[in-house]
Amino acid sequence: MSDLICVGAIAGAFGVRGEVRIKSFCAIPEDLETYSPLTTEDGSRSFTLTLSRSINNGFAAHLEGVATKEQADALRGTRLFARRDQLPSLPDDEYYHADLIGLEVLDTGGQVLGHVKSVQNHGAADLLEIHAPGLKETVLLPFTLVAVPTIDLAAGRIIADPPDGLF
Amino acid sequence: MSRSVWKGPFVDAYVLKKAEAAAESGRHEVIKIWSRRSTILPQFVGLTFGVYNGRKHITVNVTEDMIGQKFGEYSPTRTYHGHAADKKAKRS
Repeated sequence: MSDLICVGAIAGAFGVRGEVRIKSFCAIPEDLETYSPLTTEDGSRSFTLTLSRSINNGFAAHLEGVATKEQADALRGTRLFARRDQLPSLPDDEYYHADLIGLEVLDTGGQVLGHVKSVQNHGAADLLEIHAPGLKETVLLPFTLVAVPTIDLAAGRIIADPPDGLF
Repeated sequence: MSRSVWKGPFVDAYVLKKAEAAAESGRHEVIKIWSRRSTILPQFVGLTFGVYNGRKHITVNVTEDMIGQKFGEYSPTRTYHGHAADKKAKRS
């Protein structure tokens, strides 16, 4: 589990007064501002962000220390990261995708089934996409109490009881 | 024009057969189906289907809210992976 989580990206300059065009990857796009200050992936730069208005495909925003269009243009493509501890805590049985991705998946007998590649939702229940070492395709495991009885974030593993015919 | 009410909801016969067999056996298994056009019926609630999307079977856990929809609606045919960011998953 990484300590930094990508929550947005800078898509370039917006206007000529040093504003930037920001893409938000958050579940509620406006929440990006609440995670400010955001850093770059290597942590070398930190930005205090103020969203000014909603625009096509994102937001116009002011970044502290960015005053000209040239400075804003130079940041195009920069991904913005928040620290994991900046995210609010969640009630029982709710997990951040970022926490679940990468966990090892074991069956009830302790056999390794694979690891979590992503979390998907196609309109029904949430699904864990599991990359199993011996299989060509990934497997989608329903994220239910029956199929996933135990999640141990501290140990970095999930105990799964997958339905027959899935693996 | 919508489907006439007197005909009842459309379900491929093999889907009904497989679902009945799975419900009777009581085993927790994935019912693999290719029929995206079949309507989700009340007797499917609680069963787990693997709905084909042209490439692989997408796991669909049927709940009450899904009755009357088609299986294909829950098995997208195009791939889109967004960013995890602060998105949450709830274990139901």
